[in-house]
Amino acid sequence: EWKGWNIHNTDYPVTVALESFIKEADKVTNGRVNGRVYNGAVLGSQSDSIQMLQVGAIQFAGFSLGPMGDAVPEVNVVSLPFIFKNLDHMHRVMDGSVGDKLSKAMEKKGIMSLAWYDGGARSFYNTSKPIQTPADVKGEKFRVMNNELYVGMIEALGGNATPMAYSEVYQSLKTGVVDGAENNWPSYDSSNHYEVATYYSLTQHLIIPECLCVSVAAWNRLSPADQVLVKKAARDSSQLQRKLWAKRDEESRKKVLAAGVKFNEIKDKKAFSDAMKPVYAKAVQDNPSLKSFIEQIQSVD
Amino acid sequence: MGLAILLGLFALLTFVGVPVAFALGMAAISAFFYEGLPLMIGFQRIVAGTSTFSLLAIPFFIFAGELMLHGGIAARLIRLASSAVGWMRGGLGQVNVFSSMLFGGISGSAVADVSALGSLLIPVMKEKGYDDAYAVNVTVTSSIAGIMIPPSHNMILYVVAAGGGMSVASLFMAGVVPGILMCVLLGLVARWIAIRHNFPTEPFAGVKVILVAFLASFPGLITAIIVVGGALSGVFTVTESGAIGAIYAVLITALVYRSLSLKDFWIAVIRSVRTTGMVMILVGCASAFGYMLALYEVPKVLAAGLTAISDNPIIIFLMMNLILLMLGMIMDMAALILICTPIFLPVAVSLGMDPIQFGIMLMMNLGLGLCTPPVGGCLFVGCAIGEVPIQRAVKSIWPFYLAILAALMLVTFVPAISMALPNWISG
Amino acid sequence: MIFSSSKDPMMKRILDAIAYSVTAFSGVLLVVLVFSFGWLVFGRYVLNDTPTWVEQMAMLLVTSITFLAAAVGIHERTHLSVDMLSLCVPKRISVMFNVLIDICIFAFGWAMAVYGKELVDFAWFRSIPLLGIPEGIRYLPVVASGALMCLFSGCRVIVAIQHMFIGQSVSADSHSSDVNGDQ
Ligand code: NA
Ligand code: NA
Repeated sequence: EWKGWNIHNTDYPVTVALESFIKEADKVTNGRVNGRVYNGAVLGSQSDSIQMLQVGAIQFAGFSLGPMGDAVPEVNVVSLPFIFKNLDHMHRVMDGSVGDKLSKAMEKKGIMSLAWYDGGARSFYNTSKPIQTPADVKGEKFRVMNNELYVGMIEALGGNATPMAYSEVYQSLKTGVVDGAENNWPSYDSSNHYEVATYYSLTQHLIIPECLCVSVAAWNRLSPADQVLVKKAARDSSQLQRKLWAKRDEESRKKVLAAGVKFNEIKDKKAFSDAMKPVYAKAVQDNPSLKSFIEQIQSVD
Repeated sequence: MGLAILLGLFALLTFVGVPVAFALGMAAISAFFYEGLPLMIGFQRIVAGTSTFSLLAIPFFIFAGELMLHGGIAARLIRLASSAVGWMRGGLGQVNVFSSMLFGGISGSAVADVSALGSLLIPVMKEKGYDDAYAVNVTVTSSIAGIMIPPSHNMILYVVAAGGGMSVASLFMAGVVPGILMCVLLGLVARWIAIRHNFPTEPFAGVKVILVAFLASFPGLITAIIVVGGALSGVFTVTESGAIGAIYAVLITALVYRSLSLKDFWIAVIRSVRTTGMVMILVGCASAFGYMLALYEVPKVLAAGLTAISDNPIIIFLMMNLILLMLGMIMDMAALILICTPIFLPVAVSLGMDPIQFGIMLMMNLGLGLCTPPVGGCLFVGCAIGEVPIQRAVKSIWPFYLAILAALMLVTFVPAISMALPNWISG
Repeated sequence: MIFSSSKDPMMKRILDAIAYSVTAFSGVLLVVLVFSFGWLVFGRYVLNDTPTWVEQMAMLLVTSITFLAAAVGIHERTHLSVDMLSLCVPKRISVMFNVLIDICIFAFGWAMAVYGKELVDFAWFRSIPLLGIPEGIRYLPVVASGALMCLFSGCRVIVAIQHMFIGQSVSADSHSSDVNGDQ
C-alpha cells in the first residue's frame, strides 16, 4: 500500500488531485497500485518527507519545488524571482524540455516527478500601504520562506528579510513583528492573513510549481506497462489540479476583496525584475549549473 | 498487529521501569521495524520532534525559571506573599498558595515551582508547628498554578500538538482566570483544614512592610510581564519573548539584585540543560510514537469510538476528563499532551468546545496528575523535600484534590472562565 | 551535578567526568542559544536588518542540547520513569530489572548511533537553508548521544554483572539524590 504525503488539508486543489490520482491508479492497475493520502503534513515537514520518499518510507507526495532546492540544487532555478513571465509561461516551460531536465535531476536523487501541479503566483501583502515601486519595500520587514534566494530578493529591494515559521506569521503580522509577507491568493485567504495585512500588491514575483512525485524505489517495482498507466493517471490529476487551482485562485481573490482587502496591480514590473540582477548573479555564482537553466527558461516564449 | 506492538511494548517497557521517553522511542522504532519502514526515518522523526521552531521557547522558559530560583527572585516573592496573606488563619498555607501564583506565573513549571518554593517554605512550616503532610500537600497542589498562569511551556507543547494555528498569546491569557480560581479554591481548603487543626497564624506585618516587599520583588515580577506582555503586544514573538525574559532575568539578578553569582548562574545553566534534555527527548520520542499513531489512524478510530458511546456533550466531556485523569495518574504530562491532543481535540471541537478552552481543561487535568501517585513529579519532589512518605501525604491530600476537581468541572462546563479574558483582549 | 569523591572506583570517576563535560558543553550551547535570540531582536529593531541565520541555527543548537543532555540523563538517572514495579518486588529482582532496563537502553543507544550515522551520511549532500552547511550536521548529536548512552548503560551492566558474581550489593550508577523533573 502506497503512503502519500500532502501538506494541505481536505478539499484543497492539491489534496483533491492527489486523492484522485491514487484512486485512478488503483483502478487502472487493478489494485496493483493502491494507497492513501495523509493530509495536513501529519507525516512530517516537506524537507523531512523528501528524505522519506528518497529512502522509500513513503511512496508518493505533492511537493512544492521551493524546498526541493535544498535536496536537488538545480531545482532552485524555479525559486528565482520573476523567472517565469506568468502562469502560462511556467506551464510551457515545465511541460517542455526544461521540465524534463529538472525531472532527470530529481530522478538522480531518487525522486520521480510524474506531473507538475500549480502553486499559483506569490505576491506581496502588508499591513501599511500598497506597494507600487521597489522603493515601497525599502525598510519594511517582510517574512519570507527559508531560502537564500527569497532573502536575497527582499534585500535587493532594500527591505528587511525575516525568515519565520509559517505558523508564527499571522500573530506577527497582527502585532507588527513583521510588516508584510508574500503568498498566493488561496494561501493569503486560508491563512487568514488578509484579516491583518490588508494591502495586496500583485507583484507575482514567484511562480513556484509543485510536483506529483513518486519514490524511485516504488516506481522501479512497477512493470513498464503499469508505469505507463500510473504516469497517465498522474498527468490526468495534474489537469484536474490546474483546473481546480484556477477556480480556487479566483474564489479566494473574490473572497478577500469582498472582505475589504485593498488590491493594486503593478504598473512597472520591470523595475522589480531589474532589481533582481544581484540575486541572479549570486545564485549562478553559488551554483553554476543554474546558468543554462536560466537561459533556457528565458528563451521559452 | 503493528498497533498492538506499538501500544503493548510501550506499556510493558514503562511498567518494567524504562524511562517514559525511551519506552516511547523503543515502541515507535519497533513499530517502524514491524512495518518494514526504514529505521533511519524513525530516528529522523525523533530529531524532527525536537527541532520544531515553536518548541524553542521551552528551554527559554526553563532557563528563566532556574534563574529566578538561583538569583533570589523566588525568596523575594515569598516575602511578598508572607506579608500580604500570612496573617490569615493557617497563614503559611495561604502564603504557600499565593507564592505559587506569583512564582508559577514566572517559571511556567510545576515541578520547578515545588522544588523552589517547597525547599524554602516546607521547612519553615514544619518548624512553626504545621503538620508536615499538610505542608507538602499545599505546596504540591498549588504548584499547578505554574502551568495555568502564563507563561507556561506546557501550553506551547499543546499548541504544537494541536498542529499550530492557535495563538499562544490567547492560550496564555485563557489560563489566568482558571489559575487564579483554582488557587482561591485551594486557599479556602487550606484555611478550612488550618482552622480544624488549629494551625498558627502570623502577625499582620502592616501595609508598609507589604509595600516594601512588593517593591523589592517588583523587578522580578517584571520578568513575567516581559514574557507575556512582549508576546501579547507584538514586540516579540512568543519564542523571542522567552529568550528576552531569560536575558532580563540574568541582568536583573546579576546587576540589580546582585544576588546571582557566576556560580549561581552556572548552576542555573546546568540545571536548565538537564531539564531541557529530559523534556525535549520526551517530546522527540513522543513525536515518533505519534507518527505511528497517525499511520494507524488511531486518533480517528478513538474519536469515532468515543462519539459512538454517547452524543451528549456533557457525558463525553466527563468521559474525556476521566480518561485524562487516569492517564495522568500513570504517565507524565508532556508525553500525554503530545499523545492525547490529536485524539481528543477534534472530538471536543466537534462538540463545540473552543480549542483554547480544551487546552486549559487539558492543562488542569494533567496538572492534577502531577500530584497523584503512582507517577507524579510534583508529589515526588514535594515528599522528598518535606521528608514525608508518599503514602502519608496522600492520606490527607484529598480535600485539595476535590478543590482542583471543582475548578476542573467549572473550566470544563463554563467556557467563559477560560474564554472571557482572551476574547476581551483580542476584542 | 554529581561530583565524584576519591573513594569512588576509577570507572565511575571517568564516567562522571565525561557526563559533566558533556553537560557543560551543552550549557555553553544554551547560553549561546539564548543570547542569539537577543541578537535577533536587536537586529530587527535597532539595526533593521534581521539576522537570518538565528532561526535555523537555534534549531541545531536545541537538538544538540537535547540529545547530549538526554544521554547524560541516563548516567544521572534523571529521566522520568515509573518505578511501581521495583518498589513491589524484592531487592534482588529489582536489581535484575535494572540490568534489563540498561540493556534496553544500550540497544536503543546503539540503534540511535547506527541510524544516526546513516542520517548524517544521507543528509550530508543536502544543505540547511540560510546556513549553507550540510543538513547532515543536524544528526551528529544523535550519533554522539547514542554512543554516550551505550557507554553509560553498558558500563552499568558490566558492573552489575560483576557484583552479581562477586555477590556484593554495590551498584555502579551514580545515584542522584536530586529528583529533578520539570513540568
Ligand atoms: Na506559568
Ligand atoms: Na500522576
